[in-house]
Amino acid sequence: MERVPILKIGGVLLVSIQIDLQDQSVLALQEDLAEKISTTGAHGVVIDISAVEIVDSFIGRMFATIASISQLFDADTVVVGMRPAVAITLVELGLTLGGVRTALDLERGMKILRVLGEQRRGPSSDEDADPLRALL
Amino acid sequence: MTVATGETHHELLRTAVHGEPDVFLVRQRGRQVAAAVGFDGQDQIRVATALSDVGRELVRQSLTSAVVFALRLAPRVALVVELSWRGGPARTTGPGWDTADRLLDEVHVTAGDEGGTVVLVKRLPGGVVAPSPEHLIRVRRELGTPIGSTALDELRAQNQELLETLETLEQKGRELERLNDELEETNRGVVALYKELSEELEETNRGVVALYAELDEKSTQLREAAEARTRFWSNISHELRTPVNSVVGLTRLLAAQGADPLTADQRRQVELINDSGATLLALVNELLDTAKAESGSMRPQPVPVDLGYVVVQLRGALQPMIRSGEVELVADDLPALPPFVTDETMLVRILRNVLSNGLKFTVRGEVRLSVHLAEDGRHLHFVVTDTGIGIPADQQDRVFEEFHQVPGALQVGAGGTGLGLSYARKLARILGGDLALRSEPGRGTEVTLRLPVGALDDIPLTPVGTALLVDGNEESRALLKDVIGDLAHVVVEAADGRTGLTAATTERPGLVFLDADAPFVTGAEILSVLRRDANFSAVPAVVVCTAESAALHLTVSGLAASLLPRRQISTETVRQAVREALVAVRRTVSG
Repeated sequence: MERVPILKIGGVLLVSIQIDLQDQSVLALQEDLAEKISTTGAHGVVIDISAVEIVDSFIGRMFATIASISQLFDADTVVVGMRPAVAITLVELGLTLGGVRTALDLERGMKILRVLGEQRRGPSSDEDADPLRALL
Repeated sequence: MTVATGETHHELLRTAVHGEPDVFLVRQRGRQVAAAVGFDGQDQIRVATALSDVGRELVRQSLTSAVVFALRLAPRVALVVELSWRGGPARTTGPGWDTADRLLDEVHVTAGDEGGTVVLVKRLPGGVVAPSPEHLIRVRRELGTPIGSTALDELRAQNQELLETLETLEQKGRELERLNDELEETNRGVVALYKELSEELEETNRGVVALYAELDEKSTQLREAAEARTRFWSNISHELRTPVNSVVGLTRLLAAQGADPLTADQRRQVELINDSGATLLALVNELLDTAKAESGSMRPQPVPVDLGYVVVQLRGALQPMIRSGEVELVADDLPALPPFVTDETMLVRILRNVLSNGLKFTVRGEVRLSVHLAEDGRHLHFVVTDTGIGIPADQQDRVFEEFHQVPGALQVGAGGTGLGLSYARKLARILGGDLALRSEPGRGTEVTLRLPVGALDDIPLTPVGTALLVDGNEESRALLKDVIGDLAHVVVEAADGRTGLTAATTERPGLVFLDADAPFVTGAEILSVLRRDANFSAVPAVVVCTAESAALHLTVSGLAASLLPRRQISTETVRQAVREALVAVRRTVSG
């Protein structure tokens, strides 16, 4: 079973899914992510699904679940890079991703999280003020 | 509904869905097939997503389904995927089924108790031309090869294999670990068992040691008891002997010729006292002898024994015991026997005890002594048979016990301590032999004394005060003197027969060596003169000769001496010759 790597960039965890997801991998990712958020205290999660071609009802629901779990750890989740075909299929299926925010690409996702983070801690917070810069 | 391989249906691929990984594969296969038959990207995703959801629904219900991908050409060109399963009714509603409904054109479900089928149909868009048969063949061939045909996929496959290998290795490692644990466990068990066993062994050992100590103690006690008993006997006997001796001696004085005359009654009474005293003395002596034998202080003094003389001695000693004319003491003629060497005193005591026992318990008939050589040629058997009352079988072992007397009428009359046979057996054992008994009540008893014949070597050579050496040859004399060594304290030499004769009468030697050819008077002549003197009749003599001859042998043995060839002189041959001389002289004296 392949595991999806989780990278920490500042206060944000970046999950870049570069494989066609199997159910096992998704479940593992769910656990790994929860573990990682709790140990690092990250305030945001970016899930990059630009390489994912198929999101069926199960995987779609998983994203929603991941978002809910993150929420419990006081972290926001943004899904970025969804392919048009996937998006269309999701719509056709009538699936909504619940509390999951989406963004067109990684840069925008990071931005959203930064804004959300500033809102939460106030603009004076210097630390990981700009996660994107840390990424670059 | 089944997918027929007719004109309108072209089967493209068959696969199966069993577990979750298969769902993933079917999804990929679906997308591949959709691409191959000409669906655009979006439709490929739709087909794959629908297959993924339906497949998952079936897998969740633990059903194994066969999946057939086919292309339908009529009425409209469409991709048909049929999933069929067996065993158990399947639930055919739920989010997965909804997905298929939403994304595909047709979904036909037939489900029963035995199994079911779902047929998924996705029509090709209007503008798309149906693939040609050649194209379909190519598609089939492409699909026939497994997915991972790209380099990346191959790498992935290899990776997967490696991972599997790794997993297998890990599993083996775990197995080994488990085995190790098991082994360790077994080891611990073995060690525990070993410990337990050695503890048990130690325990047993301790027990054995304790037992040994106890045995040791017991044997010490026994030995002490035996010693105490012997000491007691010996002391008591000594204490008793003195007064009894006085009684016997005084009564003899009373009855002696020169004493004051006694009346007839008094004389009879004194005789009774004397008889009783004598009996008492005999008993005490017997006791003392037994005690001595018991204490192990008796050492046999082996000498050459002349049995004829022994028999004569015994007859003389036992004749007075015969109480009536109806009992006879018989000694068979002695057969030819090899020289017999043993302690003569002990032998006589044994035989006297056995014979007197026979006489005691025989009312009429005979008590017979016969001697013969045992079959092995190394033992003599002295057999004493009587025609007495015999000994019951249950008493035969006990008669050898000290103080044991067979109860019966005759015993009351016959005096005794019950020590006789026990004493005889002890002496027989001291002499290296044994005493055995066979009896039949009413018919008689047979006692066999078995003694080793003994050898000349057994005769101890005790040094004599003076040895006389008569030899005309000076060299020979010097050699003999040297060899005689410690056989005599002093060696007196004489160079001729005349001086030799004079020396013999003045020096009174205990041992004589004579030159057969001594000047003036020969050895044989000297000896024949000496033997006539009573003081010389028992002196062992060795005649040393230069040349042996039958006549000389005869002469020498007639003079009760032994012969020693001069050329054979050595310490050993001289000793042997002296022993032979002792035997010869003893035979003559007793005969």
